[in-house]
Amino acid sequence: MSILNNLARRQLVVVTGKGGVGKTTVSATLGRALAAAGRRTLIVEVDPRENLHQMFALPPSGGAIVEAGPRVWVQNLKPRQVLDEIVRERLPLEMLTRRVLDSSIYQHFTATAPGLKEVAILGHAWRLLNGLGAMGAPALDTIVLDAPATGHGVSLLAAPLLVAEVIRRGPFAEMGGELARFVSDPERCGIVVVTQAEEMPVQEAIELREALRERIRRDPEALVVNGLYPPAPSDQGQDDALVSLWRRRRKLNEDEMARLIEHWEGPRVELPLLAMDRGPHLIRALQSCLEPGRGAWS
Amino acid sequence: MELISDRHPLVVVVGSGGVGKTTLAASMGVLSARAGRDTLVMTFDPSLRLKDALGVGEEAKLHEVPVPLDAPGRLHASLLDARQTFDRLIERYAQEPEASRRILENRFYQQLSGTLSGILEYMAVERLFEVEAEGRYSQVILDTPPTRQALDFLEAPSRIIGFLESGAIRVALKPWFDEEGRLKAASRFGPLGRQAERFLDDVVGLDLLRDMAEFFQAFAPLYEGFRERAQAVEQLLRSPKTRFVLVSGPGEERIPDTLFFARRLEQAGFHLGPILVNRVHPHYLAENVPSGSGDPCRPTGWELLSWLGERDRKGLVELTKLLGREQPLIEIPLLPEEPTDLASLESLGKTVQERLAGWERYVSRT
Repeated sequence: MSILNNLARRQLVVVTGKGGVGKTTVSATLGRALAAAGRRTLIVEVDPRENLHQMFALPPSGGAIVEAGPRVWVQNLKPRQVLDEIVRERLPLEMLTRRVLDSSIYQHFTATAPGLKEVAILGHAWRLLNGLGAMGAPALDTIVLDAPATGHGVSLLAAPLLVAEVIRRGPFAEMGGELARFVSDPERCGIVVVTQAEEMPVQEAIELREALRERIRRDPEALVVNGLYPPAPSDQGQDDALVSLWRRRRKLNEDEMARLIEHWEGPRVELPLLAMDRGPHLIRALQSCLEPGRGAWS
Repeated sequence: MELISDRHPLVVVVGSGGVGKTTLAASMGVLSARAGRDTLVMTFDPSLRLKDALGVGEEAKLHEVPVPLDAPGRLHASLLDARQTFDRLIERYAQEPEASRRILENRFYQQLSGTLSGILEYMAVERLFEVEAEGRYSQVILDTPPTRQALDFLEAPSRIIGFLESGAIRVALKPWFDEEGRLKAASRFGPLGRQAERFLDDVVGLDLLRDMAEFFQAFAPLYEGFRERAQAVEQLLRSPKTRFVLVSGPGEERIPDTLFFARRLEQAGFHLGPILVNRVHPHYLAENVPSGSGDPCRPTGWELLSWLGERDRKGLVELTKLLGREQPLIEIPLLPEEPTDLASLESLGKTVQERLAGWERYVSRT
């Protein structure tokens, strides 16, 4: 079964990996591909500096859910807004809500309680998928979540357990429990690790997999190796500077890929480095590389 | 302009994650020791290869480790670990063992020390204070943590202080709980207070609140010392003797980041030295390039590298225009391989040094 078919069965697809490996590009590509396969898909980015909209040539949305094509939406999420939203729902009076939201106890609680922001992010996805989103939110089959960089990627998935354990009761604790069941269920939640065939990203991908096993007892559904150089021509002994650089970059990719494969069984997708700026062209081209028999180099 | 000089005993290397800060910090360290200065490189999360190159292992998390470099100055390296630094700090500054035990065993502290944003950055500041106070090095090179927004590092001291200073400490001194461990009814919520408070209690959960209150109470005696040190380090960072070196990735996509950083550093009163644009692809002339494959999924190396070279060149031109000619902007070519030993680190350092001199000659001529 192709990776896309596999992911199309999940409600939530969490895309994680070290910063700078192309997580947002891969999230946008997967989201677009899932939508093309008929799933109503929202791609969520959690980064104060918005990037996702560029992939669809849209203006920055400022937090709203924005339509980006047939069956595909994008959103830049601010975790704090989600927490405040939960308080608003529970309290009948606006004045009362304001008092709670402005109180120093609440402010400190939400700023420092471990794992709470991460739970807000996952909770937002869960609520949308269960039709509990704000008025006018689209009905969705799948959410692709472009998670914060690695260390945070594990914290994101492990946060529900932590919150349920640390906070113990109240609406946030209940949500923690619900979400812990959600992310540990491979039928509902898929995990995609993005990396590049270079030393640090490979090291982090291997560590991330171990951390996922240890903290939430899950293996990722797929590993995406992004930004691969094409195979170099056979050595004629007279390389110019360009070919020599090409050869050495490719060699680095191959060495690191070998190390990765040694430590990582399971489905893997290899995506080429393309001569294109970030944007709709790049996403479309990468989407075509996802098709079976395409884009695999080795 | 010298990359490393007596006028700047502290060099802080900043930039987004994944641009090669740590390697450049290490190569500056080698250069500095070569020039006869006793040097410390403080770093966070070097690659295995770089640790090998420096000849340091996990023990560098506990103390500074000498790097086996045969040079007139000594070179040391230390790895920063937030949790260990935090634990050590509490053990050192808590007035009695009982107080430190109470903090270290507190459930809230155990979660907090791993998750509070800015902790790692704050701990770097603490280590910097210790190192400066000891005065054993004539040159310190500080690599900053791999945050996406590296300025977090500079704001960490004031954020942590703000966190301690705001309600938290006041609340600790004026506890939320009465003697039976129940949330105190307070009048500050006004007429709707009862309901709001019951809700707050419900949302927040008493157990965690109790842990938090206990933590801040135990922490209160340490707080003055924390604040003083954070202020001292803040002054040190703003001193003209401290120079910031900004490392950036190549390509137009990185320009907004680089500009944002440079402007923020200067606005905040820090002293920005050179900007190093790292891993720049060489620029090839278009006529040397064989035609492409015609398949977007399978570009040839010629297409790819020509495009990358052109992309990086455009990026540099644009950045130079935006920053103005007063700002030293150094381009560092993409290396075929990352440095794997002290010799290749030194050679990278020399490249940066030579290019900085080249930039100066160019600016003085034109």
